[in-house]
Amino acid sequence: MSAGPFKVCMLGDFGVGKTSLVSRFVRSTFSDKYLTTVGVKVDSKEVARAGRDPVKLVLWDIAGRNALDSVGANYLRGASALLLVADGTREASLASALDLLMQARGLLPNALAVLAMNKFDLLDRWEVAPPTLTQLRRTLAVFETSAATGAGVEDAFAAIVAGLAP
Amino acid sequence: MIDDAALPPLVRERLRALLLERSHALVLGFSPDWTLREVCGDAAFHGIDAAAPAAGIAALQDLFVGIDIGDDQEIPFVELANGRSAHVHLLADGDRFHLLLLDADEARATQRSQQQLANEAVLAGHAKSKAIDALRNIRNELERQRARLEEANALKNALIATMSHEFRTPLTSAFGHLRLLERQLPPGESGAALQAVRRSLTYLFALAENLLEYGRGEAGGGLLDPVEIDLDALLADCEAMFRPLASAKGLAFRTRLDRDDAATPRFDEVKLRQIVINLLSNAVRYTHSGEVALALRWANARLHVEVSDTGIGIAPEFRARVFHPFNSGAQSGSRGAGLGLSIVRRLVEQMHGTLALESAPGTGTRFELDLPGAVAASAPTTSDAAPLRGQALVVEDDTDVSHLLEIALGGLGLEVRVVGEAAIAIETVLAAPPRLLVFDMHLPDLSGSEAVFRLRAQGHRGAILMLSANASADARDAALRAGADRYLTKPIDFARLEDTVRELLA
Repeated sequence: MSAGPFKVCMLGDFGVGKTSLVSRFVRSTFSDKYLTTVGVKVDSKEVARAGRDPVKLVLWDIAGRNALDSVGANYLRGASALLLVADGTREASLASALDLLMQARGLLPNALAVLAMNKFDLLDRWEVAPPTLTQLRRTLAVFETSAATGAGVEDAFAAIVAGLAP
Repeated sequence: MIDDAALPPLVRERLRALLLERSHALVLGFSPDWTLREVCGDAAFHGIDAAAPAAGIAALQDLFVGIDIGDDQEIPFVELANGRSAHVHLLADGDRFHLLLLDADEARATQRSQQQLANEAVLAGHAKSKAIDALRNIRNELERQRARLEEANALKNALIATMSHEFRTPLTSAFGHLRLLERQLPPGESGAALQAVRRSLTYLFALAENLLEYGRGEAGGGLLDPVEIDLDALLADCEAMFRPLASAKGLAFRTRLDRDDAATPRFDEVKLRQIVINLLSNAVRYTHSGEVALALRWANARLHVEVSDTGIGIAPEFRARVFHPFNSGAQSGSRGAGLGLSIVRRLVEQMHGTLALESAPGTGTRFELDLPGAVAASAPTTSDAAPLRGQALVVEDDTDVSHLLEIALGGLGLEVRVVGEAAIAIETVLAAPPRLLVFDMHLPDLSGSEAVFRLRAQGHRGAILMLSANASADARDAALRAGADRYLTKPIDFARLEDTVRELLA
């Protein structure tokens, strides 16, 4: 038996690495070729927990956007958690992620939200400054992640699992 | 919207067949607990194995996690397990529901290609703006560095100009008074002592010139100041300077002069002496036995200079390096600043000559120079020419130098008056214009160029000779642009001064 399933939506601007994070988490693979997502791709993974039933996460990898339209809102229905994704090398993508969270809150007031600051492997090109993340961490779980190296990816999803099935 | 019922039955039937065929419609019927009841359509096209549909159905079931399946639902552009895309519709139907899958592959491909281009353009734009920012930062940093370098260079130039003045002014005075003493004393009386003083002054002058020449830098350029050269005197001076040094080391010192051209050679004397003295200094320094030789040959309007020794020699790997400044490690056991040969090369280039080096370690070294003579200027006047008439005003703040100028110009027959400030000079000239004005470039209150410019701007038309310790082409051009007629550098060559004054007042 597993707990769940829980629908988790990946939300963020295009090109921030949502598809790559899912690939890293579900299949432990990575490609640096950018291929834009159209519509949605749904994957699932049972996350093992020590001494407890695993938790099944159903991951909705939604096409990147910087604002929620009706189609985007439709994809969010029934989600238990949002994994917001931003690209550390593009500060504007963080603003987009936070805008999307604000809009999604109107539809999913109780959904768990976690922020993945992705592309940590390109830290020397980051535009997002540490104090910004310190500030964000007061209200949001924030993880520096790299789909390329896997850094922080398990931790971000583990935080979602912990929040959904404590 | 077309009213389906209004369509002719034949058309309606064809349309229905076309839509079913093109949409690859698949209908799956389920009971509320997701038990598959029926399959209608092309299941394989949508990646569902009709014989073992459990995996495909589980994936579809995941689409509706958290969603009430009692209501109709539509999820567009769902990527299926086989990579195809479908629009997925859930249709509630009483005690059961249907999933309708319609092929969206072609539409997805079209949308993806458009979206991909648009997204990549935005990403590229972002990368471009970052690159532009980076370039802008680099450019700003370069600007800052350039400003710092320019400031440092300006300081260096100011230092060199000051040093140049500081060195040349006392040397001018010393050389001038030496000349006076040589004229006044009977031949033979204290002649050796005066020669020794002249030798030492010449050597000091060469050393100072080396430092100044190096400090001027490659771009500073060197103003050639060609005068008639007495090669015998040059050879004699070199003998006087280096034979004692060579003898002290037990070396033979040989000199030779061949003259195959009847014309009098004209070269920048300071630079030529600097070259020969530097080469001989090195030769004597790096030779411990044998000889040092200097040979001059004036032929076909070219001066061939050969300085050879039987010294330690220069290894092939060091030959290029000896012409770099501060190369004192190039020759083993070497001492000194390591400036000499770099200065020699620079001066030879400035004089449009060539320089060749032959050397074998342990055997010796030979430098060969070929220098083209300068084109002869107008014929110099002789010292016994007719005396000049009229007034000359000397504007010079160094009393030693002004005294020498007073003697030299007075000796030509001119009535000489001396002032030490430019402002007074301007007043004096405007009140009673002299026939000749001799201006020092560096005056305490106003630069010589500025003063000359003001005088010319107020209509003064008399002859103006500018004197300066600055031997750069820039300084000369600035003075001539300001209105000076001639520009001579210090230390003053009094014979040349006399020629120039006669030429100006002719």
